[in-house]
Amino acid sequence: MRPAAPLLPLLPALVLLPVALLLPGLLHGGGWDLLGQFLLAALRPSGDPLVLGSLLGGLGITVGMALLGWATSLLLGVPLGLLSSRLLWRSLAGSELPAELLRRLLAVPRSIHELIWGLLLLQLVGQQPAVAVLAITIPFSALVARVVSDLLDALPERNLQGLLAAGTPAPAALLTALGPPLLPGLISYGGYRLECALRSATLLGVFGLGGLGNELLLTLQSLQFHELWSGLWLLLAVMLALEALVSALRRRWSMPARLALAQRQPVGRSSRELLLVAAALVPLLLGVGRALAVDPAALLHWQALPPLPPGGWQGALALPWLAMVGQTVLLTLVAAALAVGGAPLLLLLVAPWPWGGWLLRLLWALGRLWPPPLTALLLLFVFKPSLLTAALALGFHNLGILGRLLLEGVEAAGPEREEALRCSGSGTRLALLYGRFSGLARAYLAYGAYRADVILRETVVVGMVAGTGLGSQLRESLSAFAFDQLALLLAAYALLTLLGEDLSDRARRALLRA
Amino acid sequence: MTLSLSRALARTTGRGRERSAAVATGLSLALLTAVLPTPPLAPGLGTPPAAQAEAAKQRPLLRISAIPDQNPEKLNRLYGSVASELSRQLGVPVKYVPLTDYAAAVTAFRTGDLDLVWFGGLTGVQARLQKPNARVLAQRDIDVSFKSIFIANTRSGLKTVRNIDGLRELKGRRFTFGSESSTSGRLMPQYFLAQAGVKLKDFAGGAPGFSGSHDATIALVQSGAYDAGAVNEQVWRASLHNGKANRAKVMAIWKSPGYPDYHWIAQGNLDQRFGKGFTTKLQKAILSWRPSDPQQKVILGLFGAQQFIPASPGEYTRIEQVGREIGKIR
Repeated sequence: MRPAAPLLPLLPALVLLPVALLLPGLLHGGGWDLLGQFLLAALRPSGDPLVLGSLLGGLGITVGMALLGWATSLLLGVPLGLLSSRLLWRSLAGSELPAELLRRLLAVPRSIHELIWGLLLLQLVGQQPAVAVLAITIPFSALVARVVSDLLDALPERNLQGLLAAGTPAPAALLTALGPPLLPGLISYGGYRLECALRSATLLGVFGLGGLGNELLLTLQSLQFHELWSGLWLLLAVMLALEALVSALRRRWSMPARLALAQRQPVGRSSRELLLVAAALVPLLLGVGRALAVDPAALLHWQALPPLPPGGWQGALALPWLAMVGQTVLLTLVAAALAVGGAPLLLLLVAPWPWGGWLLRLLWALGRLWPPPLTALLLLFVFKPSLLTAALALGFHNLGILGRLLLEGVEAAGPEREEALRCSGSGTRLALLYGRFSGLARAYLAYGAYRADVILRETVVVGMVAGTGLGSQLRESLSAFAFDQLALLLAAYALLTLLGEDLSDRARRALLRA
Repeated sequence: MTLSLSRALARTTGRGRERSAAVATGLSLALLTAVLPTPPLAPGLGTPPAAQAEAAKQRPLLRISAIPDQNPEKLNRLYGSVASELSRQLGVPVKYVPLTDYAAAVTAFRTGDLDLVWFGGLTGVQARLQKPNARVLAQRDIDVSFKSIFIANTRSGLKTVRNIDGLRELKGRRFTFGSESSTSGRLMPQYFLAQAGVKLKDFAGGAPGFSGSHDATIALVQSGAYDAGAVNEQVWRASLHNGKANRAKVMAIWKSPGYPDYHWIAQGNLDQRFGKGFTTKLQKAILSWRPSDPQQKVILGLFGAQQFIPASPGEYTRIEQVGREIGKIR
């Protein structure tokens, strides 16, 4: 039996049944007072100029790190993406082999979360601003490279073949035939990466790599909720402004939305503005780099790692690997199901109320904004530490990201079908379900599969706080300076995420084919 | 997200005239932004090593730091005073570099980013193992026999523990340590718990929490988020004294036997960088602090000590041993 298409996105929400059954057993309720204080403090953030000054300084560093990390990842990622394009190598050299090799190679930096890169670099080159920038750059440029090469290889080859057949030299033919159609997708994706970079920079700060994240963690740990909310509202304002800017530019330049069904035909009159923005970015980035005292040359001063104890590898191998990997996988699945299934379910629930949509938007914005380890710490006020607690934290964060995407998609789908259903007498929820969700179902689930892959990478972030999976061991190994354990942990993460990526690719392709 | 992107086909055409206009406008804008002054944003460990080395040749700067075991405001006050006092006594510029993580303090010491660090017992041993020529300079009078206090929420039903075996009562409870690298908030408490037969997985949820600092442990246990926790005796006393710990909500249930803890560790190359005999001068300066001097009284008060006394590496062999047993030193 196959469920009807509009019901498909709701299927992952079935995970709520076991979660609802298990959660009461995890409640200890010891910290309800604290949670109440935390929520009330949202209405009364601290306005102390000293606090605000320090928060603004932190925010400046976070935004600066995000900008620099984002820009370098594009600078590196786009050429790497071109180099790992099968189409390009086939047209220029007649063989796809170099592209294949580079793709495999780039899978490794991509498979490791920026937080792990950051913590490792901290050990290798000492604490300095360039570490956070590089930590964002490494996985991000590999991700950009993959998307660029996928975009390129999916472009129709007719124009290219035509130019080549007419005797145009290969480089010129490639540029003419593929450059213009590649650009909109690339720019749209680039904007999305900037949003990701802001989230990553905040997260890196939580773990002490500079910026607002650390202030958020410290105010939470010392239970100074008014100060905490001042920081959160500031960050929310910046994040929403950035998202609004990115989507406004995307619309203005007629770039494709990320979950768009209707295909718009972009036209080239915006090229002047594009160039202008690109030109303005250069001095801005240089200024930010100077203000943050980022010195790329300092990254070359490698420090020797502390020596390993004799026979240490056996100790490292004796760790409970199976249990840790199992927990990590389970954590991924539960968090992904919560996020993917939760978004459409919540949207349906609030559909009859006009203010419900806005409430959801705010909730999702907070979800995106909150670094998951902070959510985990908050949850620990009332829940026992467990895999489920970690999954809730991770799920909430990704719910914010998926929810926004779904809402964009729903709005882009157009109201015609939904209104037709409503006029013919069906309820608000049914009209939304059949009128809008049905068309989106597969594209949304396909994106969900991709997100699950991202969530697998992110498990390390909550694991370090909630004490579950590979993440909890990573924290212990780092503070014990056990580099043998760290090396094995890294290998385990890389293997796991590469496997996960493959599975999610297959799932995505299957969903889109049908 | 590639799915929608790859489907999107675009036909962008650029016209030559428009492009040159855009380049001209872009360039003028670029120049405008370049001349605008940019405020420095990043304090602390901003200077890269190369620039640091250069600056060190001109006017050596003594960079001091400490493991972040308490609220940052208190650390800033304390080590700000320490920096200005040392600067006055030694005649060199001294700067306090705040850190966010215990392990980061060890790393920054190994990478040479810090000259003098107030380490805990465990982090001090880790730092010396990674930097064998480092010098142990001094400890507080209270560090010779430092103690951990096990605290509990008054509503948890936990009672005062008469002897170490009584710690078994903590099985099945929600329990939190401080930082995972803390000597008094993790290492020694875990050691005493093990002696009483309590393993980490015996706690509720199958694992203890790591609150991050002693202040955070007290706040979390007091709120009821955890039933019990282990903290540094000196921070516990200070919290009772200044009212941060509410006796109606949180109480001490057990005081551990003594063990050596916090100490100042300096890099082994200070004499080369600051002049012959500098390390000894630095040590003497710290040891000379007395409550009779108003500025030094403030410092000693914040440290919770009467004075500093000499310390030697040999005193920390027991910490090293326990560290190895628990796997924090390898």
